[in-house]
Amino acid sequence: MGQAIGGQGPIGGAPGFTVPWNEPPRVPLPKHLYVHVPLCRSKCSYCDFFSRADDGAVSHTELVEATLEMLRGWLEPTVRRVPLETLYIGGGTPTVLGDDLVTLVRELTTIMPLAEGAEVTVEANPESVSPELLASLVAAGVTRLSIGVQSLDDETLRLLGRCHDAATALDVVRAALGAGLEVGADLICGVPGLSHDDWLRTLDAIVDAGVQHVSVYPLSIEAGTPMAEAIAEGRLAPPDEDATVAAMDAAAEVLTARGLDRYEVANYAVPGHESRHNTAYWTGWPYLGIGGGAHGMLDGEQARALGLVPPDETGIVRVRYGYAADMFPMRLEKSLSAFETMTAPEALREDAMLGMRMTRGVADELAELAGARGAMESLVADGLVVHEGGRWRPTERGWLFGNEIFARIWGAVE
Amino acid sequence: MTDPTLIRNFSIIAHIDHGKSTLADRVLQLTHTVADRDMQEQMLDSMDIERERGITIKAQAVRVMYDADDGKTYQLNLIDTPGHVDFTYEVSRSLAACEGVILVVDAAQGVEAQTVANAQMAMNAHLEIIPLINKIDLPAADPERVRHEIEEGLAIPADEAVLASGKTGEGVRDALEAVVRLVPHPVGDPEAPLKALIFDSYFDAYRGVVALIRVIDGSVGKGVKVKMMATSTITDVEEVGVRRPANMPVDVLGVGEVGYLITGLKDPALVKVGDTVTLARHGATEQLPGYREAKPMVFTGLFPIDGDQYPDLRDALERLQLNDPALVWDPESSHALGFGFRVGFLGLLHMEVVKERLEREFDLDLLATAPSVEYHAYRMKGDMVVVHSPQDMPDPGHLDRVEEPYLKATVLVPPDYVGAVMELADQRRGTFKDMQYLSATTVELHYEMPLSELIMDFFDQLKSRTKGYASLDYEYIGYRTSQLVKLDILLAGKPVDALSFVVHKDKAYARGKVLTEKLREIIPRQMFEVPIQAAIGAKIISRETVRAMRKDVIAKCYGGDISRKRKLLEKQKAGKKRMKSVGSVDIPQEAFMAILKVDE
Repeated sequence: MGQAIGGQGPIGGAPGFTVPWNEPPRVPLPKHLYVHVPLCRSKCSYCDFFSRADDGAVSHTELVEATLEMLRGWLEPTVRRVPLETLYIGGGTPTVLGDDLVTLVRELTTIMPLAEGAEVTVEANPESVSPELLASLVAAGVTRLSIGVQSLDDETLRLLGRCHDAATALDVVRAALGAGLEVGADLICGVPGLSHDDWLRTLDAIVDAGVQHVSVYPLSIEAGTPMAEAIAEGRLAPPDEDATVAAMDAAAEVLTARGLDRYEVANYAVPGHESRHNTAYWTGWPYLGIGGGAHGMLDGEQARALGLVPPDETGIVRVRYGYAADMFPMRLEKSLSAFETMTAPEALREDAMLGMRMTRGVADELAELAGARGAMESLVADGLVVHEGGRWRPTERGWLFGNEIFARIWGAVE
Repeated sequence: MTDPTLIRNFSIIAHIDHGKSTLADRVLQLTHTVADRDMQEQMLDSMDIERERGITIKAQAVRVMYDADDGKTYQLNLIDTPGHVDFTYEVSRSLAACEGVILVVDAAQGVEAQTVANAQMAMNAHLEIIPLINKIDLPAADPERVRHEIEEGLAIPADEAVLASGKTGEGVRDALEAVVRLVPHPVGDPEAPLKALIFDSYFDAYRGVVALIRVIDGSVGKGVKVKMMATSTITDVEEVGVRRPANMPVDVLGVGEVGYLITGLKDPALVKVGDTVTLARHGATEQLPGYREAKPMVFTGLFPIDGDQYPDLRDALERLQLNDPALVWDPESSHALGFGFRVGFLGLLHMEVVKERLEREFDLDLLATAPSVEYHAYRMKGDMVVVHSPQDMPDPGHLDRVEEPYLKATVLVPPDYVGAVMELADQRRGTFKDMQYLSATTVELHYEMPLSELIMDFFDQLKSRTKGYASLDYEYIGYRTSQLVKLDILLAGKPVDALSFVVHKDKAYARGKVLTEKLREIIPRQMFEVPIQAAIGAKIISRETVRAMRKDVIAKCYGGDISRKRKLLEKQKAGKKRMKSVGSVDIPQEAFMAILKVDE
């Protein structure tokens, strides 16, 4: 049905066609798109994301077609498409789709064309990336690969239940860089048994490989995962908090020293190589999300145009929705499992809260509008936030106690 | 008016859980006082909290008409009494309105501490006692053993004890026949000036104070001017009636009759339990014996968690007091907890019930500090300070001595557990008085011990150390001098007044150590290290540290996580709201009760 709506003019429709004066204007859709591919070669021991093992039970072509259908579902006559600034295909492990992933990228960007210089990221795990796939992805418009390296210590990779080793990960990083892609690597710190020296070696090795972007996450034990079970049964030591904090501090020190600046709680990049897609999440830009378990955020106007909220609900300025965690959610009767509306004060507070995830923090104006000035001042008094140059920013200590910052800002107004 | 020879006034008394209320329900059914379809459990216990806990807090009176085997119809007034030791005074007033009691004993549990206490009260009031062995339908029932215990332990003949089951209704008619046959009918002078005993009262939003009365002499009816003798209050009678169990107005209540009296008085303080009602003019000159003011024995600080609820708490206390004149309070302010009230209670159960009612019926979130007793602190200069709160304890330098309330505790327990009871009583500063075998299976022990030790989870400990077999009763015996000190708790170097408590000198070190350890477990890790110290005056006697939290951050937050993580933060915040912030330290509520759970 989306094919019927042509053009990218201000109002849409065929060129030269005059829109009657009383035709309701078409509302532009978000310029950021997230697509979830809920398949992995196998489930890792710590992961509680919505994803299942790629054991052949789910047909790749069927999944690709269903995903495209989901996107077309958003193209109501009351909205119009705008060129995508960013596209992010995450998972799961999108690269397990192989050539079907290339098809997915091509088809997605046919339905929703890319803007000039758009950022197109694909998440990848080392075991499912070949030089041929890299070349095809680049040809299809992919600009960036986010690789789940997690560790460059083989023992740690085994403990995490990863299906690759350190050498493979480094090979894939180099191959992707060689193919002309920007490369980001995800790393996990605080894994029981990983020595501080091994962690430092992982950091050095990944930077040596030439990545422009690193994400560092402390290991988080999620209920219901095999790792949580192992800890509960005493087969595995729980993560040591002191060691984890030391590892987080070391990451900040090493990466910054080697030219990757911290721009968010968990993210470091060579300047100019920050993830534009993720930055949109933290700065309040609407995004479409499609796929099982995927979430999206729309502004009030978009939500009203799409019929997600009644047209007279003008007090709603933001809507967050989530698809059910199902392989083919749109086949379910109620495919949206999460839905949340926000008023302007709530959305502003959310923006202020998310803004404080970032090094650049929050401008005075936003803090003021969000009613968060008092909260900010109390955070300054506690040494978690600094106020300078008209902006509120987290301090070194603030990075470690982000929840205190977020909670105080979110709770600033009762 | 009914011929007094056709009236029987009686109570059912029992140890808690021996089936008193169920038995009363069967009486109501057997006499067709309540239609079967209107019947509900614990019919006479009107408060939710009474039904849920299976306890009786307020006395109740119900009139039933009973067609006896002798062909006559009798007016039976059943006065249901509170079973708990906290309400002993109410029980004694209820008994004063009766000529006899049914003493209920559980056929499996046998004689327990409150069985003994209640039986003694009935004997002291010279009442006819009809033993009834209840729950004979239970597999563990052993009526012969229990019969023996009643005879040996209570010196009450039990060969004719009624065997009954409140559950099946068996024996209930036998019990009522025994009441008709054995309980003396009331005797009074119908021509004498009115003398009626107020054995309970409650507040009705529309009618004002409703007094439950038993007429001794004379009669009372609508329009008469009466006087409450203890308070010298004169008022008109608006209505008299009987409870079946709903109020049913009658013209007159005469000699021996039990019913209610409405005067239009709105102030419960003027209509006191134990007082005598007489005529305003040419009335009786002498009050009925036994009146005394209810005296609170246990005190605790009650603070609203949300300081804005302070006025609501005051209103709620005033409302509750309408039905519970024993409840007393004074405003109290704490550096740690803000504004609240020091509230006095008859005992621990009374305290729990009131707190629960405040939270439930008035939707308040309350924080209670550890209960304390009323200390008498004598200063060097000779005067005495009444101390209801540890904060009020005078400086040790000015103190001559401190006295604390003592009680006589009676514990009934199987012989195997005597050692365990003795050990516990010893830890709680109990002085052993004597011990006797009530039967081969039950030993009665007497101790004198400070009330302050009893309110420290003594009963819980007693139960757990005797596998639930021990039962406890106690009575107050007066004040005695003890070597007491005030122990302060400091968090992050600052004393937290609401955590202070008074303790015997010899136990201060041990208790300070255990309490700081307990607090270390209870107080969550915070962004800063929190030292916990126990101190007597300026002297630190123990110290623990809550280590600082190293990190608290959701590191992964992308598109799908935002809602979820925000909700997580909201949940954490709600949890924090249940804590009190003292300085920069968040203290969970249970910290303020930790002293009660200290088992050294």
